[in-house]
Amino acid sequence: MSRRGRRLKPADQNRVVEEVIHRSLLAQDQDPRGIDQILFETIFHERQRLEKEKNRDKAKKELRFYRKIQSEALRANPELQRDLLAKVIRNFTKEILGNFDIRMYQMATRAVPVVLNFALHALSPLKILRELPNGLSNIDDQVIISGETKALQKVTQLGTTIVLPTHVSNLDSILVGYMLHNLGLPPYIYGAGLNLFSNKVLGFFMDSLGAYKVDRKKKAKLYKDVLKIYAGYSMELGYHNLFFPGGTRSRSGKVEQKLKLGLIGMGLNAYIHNIRSGKKHPDIFVIPCTINYQLVLEAETLIEDHLKEVGKSRYIIEDDESYQIKKILDFLNKLFSLDSRIHIRISKPLDVFGNFVDSKGQSRDHCNRVIDRKRYVMVDGEPEFDSQRDMEYTNELANSICEAYSRDTVIASVNLISKVVLDWLKENNPGLDLYRLLRTGGNLPSMPLIEIYKRIDRTLASLKKLAKAGKIHLDETLQGRDTVAMLSEALAHFKDYHVHQALERRGDRLYHMDRELLLYYQNRIPAMVEAS
Amino acid sequence: MTRNQKKREPSKPLEVLVVGGGSFGTAISTILAEHDHRVKIWVRSKEQADEINNNHTNERYHPGIKLSEKLLATNNLGASIPGTHIIIVGVPSKAFRQVAKKIGDYMEGDQIVVHITKGIERGTFKRMSEILREETCALKIGAISGPNLAKEIMAGHPAGALVASHYDEVIRETQALFSGGRFRLYGGHDVIGTEIGGAFKNIIALAAGVADGMGFGNNTKSLIITRGLSEMARFGVALGADVFTFGGLAGIGDLMATCASPLSRNHQVGVRLAKGETLDDIIKSTDQVAEGVTTTQAVYEQAKQLKLNFAIVETVYSILYQGITPPEAMIQLMESPVGTELSRLNF
Repeated sequence: MSRRGRRLKPADQNRVVEEVIHRSLLAQDQDPRGIDQILFETIFHERQRLEKEKNRDKAKKELRFYRKIQSEALRANPELQRDLLAKVIRNFTKEILGNFDIRMYQMATRAVPVVLNFALHALSPLKILRELPNGLSNIDDQVIISGETKALQKVTQLGTTIVLPTHVSNLDSILVGYMLHNLGLPPYIYGAGLNLFSNKVLGFFMDSLGAYKVDRKKKAKLYKDVLKIYAGYSMELGYHNLFFPGGTRSRSGKVEQKLKLGLIGMGLNAYIHNIRSGKKHPDIFVIPCTINYQLVLEAETLIEDHLKEVGKSRYIIEDDESYQIKKILDFLNKLFSLDSRIHIRISKPLDVFGNFVDSKGQSRDHCNRVIDRKRYVMVDGEPEFDSQRDMEYTNELANSICEAYSRDTVIASVNLISKVVLDWLKENNPGLDLYRLLRTGGNLPSMPLIEIYKRIDRTLASLKKLAKAGKIHLDETLQGRDTVAMLSEALAHFKDYHVHQALERRGDRLYHMDRELLLYYQNRIPAMVEAS
Repeated sequence: MTRNQKKREPSKPLEVLVVGGGSFGTAISTILAEHDHRVKIWVRSKEQADEINNNHTNERYHPGIKLSEKLLATNNLGASIPGTHIIIVGVPSKAFRQVAKKIGDYMEGDQIVVHITKGIERGTFKRMSEILREETCALKIGAISGPNLAKEIMAGHPAGALVASHYDEVIRETQALFSGGRFRLYGGHDVIGTEIGGAFKNIIALAAGVADGMGFGNNTKSLIITRGLSEMARFGVALGADVFTFGGLAGIGDLMATCASPLSRNHQVGVRLAKGETLDDIIKSTDQVAEGVTTTQAVYEQAKQLKLNFAIVETVYSILYQGITPPEAMIQLMESPVGTELSRLNF
């Protein structure tokens, strides 16, 4: 497989900075608030952020910068204020750009499987002994990449791609990097939370795998505009992009059904720019993909955050399991010792309007007719921007992405068993609302196994029907195994890793303990499955 | 006007295609022909196309009325769609998907498609805009609905309606088609509410017709219209509509016109049912479609799925599909439990 991609030279990097500044300024010129208000608002937000910044040396340096800008802006005419705004934009752009270097990318992607394999060897001597006659074990056994892999490989040759994975864990970034490497795809650039770069384990991979820095603590609208413009311009230049359109890890465990549209919309923006400039390969393709775990590293912290009733959930969590090296190693150990699979499932490629794209890169409507997608942006025969129209087009794309996520979610035994147990609890405690049920467990601490087995069979039959209709996917733990084995599989996963055990079998009864964890894993099942 | 929008030159005439030569399709074409647009109307049969082009009449749907000579008819969809700026679809809901599929064979992504059909697809519960989305590549889709009795429009009376779309361009361009004339087109973004209003009112019109046929007066009709509006709004909101849409032309506006007028086909069906005719006989006796008959079944089934109770819908359904006589049905309706008015309608 040849790697079509561009090497990011220093000259390119400077060009990107200057163009992003230029476009950002043009965008601010259109803002009805006016340059002066944008400038002072940005300074206000930044000063607020910096007052809470833990790194005081860094904060002092930046505060000096903003104080200087502010004092000059107060005395400046509009033209000078615009220059000051350009300085702020330059500051933002340079931070965002990161240090992507293709040589480091290639080294890091080769390192990922080696590092994970090493962890496997270090922690699971039995597995080494078993596999010695066959050589070293292979991460490919543990991470299953399926779905439209060939289509993804094809469209990266035909245009610029935007890969949009679901997001449940901070390990997702590494796994996606592994997936891209495994499929022989060209380098991707992507935005990673600035907080992740402080994580020693993950930070190395972020810098090397093409991550640009996204500081989610920056609230100023200007910063978000610069971020979007940077991402969009990189797409125009032909750099493949990757980001998590849910914005953050799913706290509830649910597959994303509400997406951040700003970055997604930059694909369309880049496409229109490309057509207007007569670019040879103007097309932008969008590829949703789901990442599916039997066990989620940060599940306990995430669901607890979701359920917090007092105040807003923490949007940025900086002290969860993914920041504790021992926790990560325990997690990996658990996964490998259970032979647990991580499924990465790639959906059919889409165009920037949400239509399916075939293997030749042609857009197809629901009746499989070829669509001339350029026509969507034509006004009297010329490609034009129209912000309201384009926002609606992006909504269409977002709907298609969410449908793909739902369809390509891979359901495992932990999800099924969690749903069965919670359904039983709800039915047997009709007077309790969900939160009280989760906290108290109702009036029965356990349930008869016989009944659970029957319910597992019934629910599995519904899931199989939906899988046959192509509406969801079932992993190997739900296929070709009997009910008892399925339950044992799920219980083995719940045991030992999480702080509190979710379920435990004692004799002929099943005891429920950490019901919040059950809710987390149950939530993975898409809503339409719930309704059926 | 949003940033970077290209403004259309006001003097440039627009290419408009109306798909459907029925009662309302002909009426809309007539209004459009009063402006300086190039209006074509697609009809199913060559005979009907020839009649419109040669005689300027459409005797089947508007007997004795002379149509504008500017109105051109065709039965060739493939030749008519390319180059058309706006396509207006006005065929019965039963045939909508089939026609939408044909339109989809020729449509391109920069074309606008707006429908004027008031119905819900049986079995799937899909609205017409959803069918257009499924059967064509079009994204710029809209729906027009309001108090638009075709015969009054053909008689030259002023009228108005709502055009709803997620796209400002669709609203703007469709309004431009009718601006300055006797048809006032207001804009809105609530496509769901507009379509539900247009479809649901036909059920209430059936009920109003039954009441009129039984000899009841304005008190009864007013009760049916007001409570019918409440059911319409509850149903619409359950499906994602904006409740305020039902206070406008696509809701109460259309409801009043359709329930009060003997010109409404659905009202006429209701009257005839009250007078003892069977539904089969009524259907056989007329070419004109009363959408309320199929919409009643669709709404009834969907309401059951959503666990919603609509006393008037259930009454009409019982008359149409369960063999209950109108007098028995009206007694059941009046005996149904009463609660607090507006208690279940959340704003």
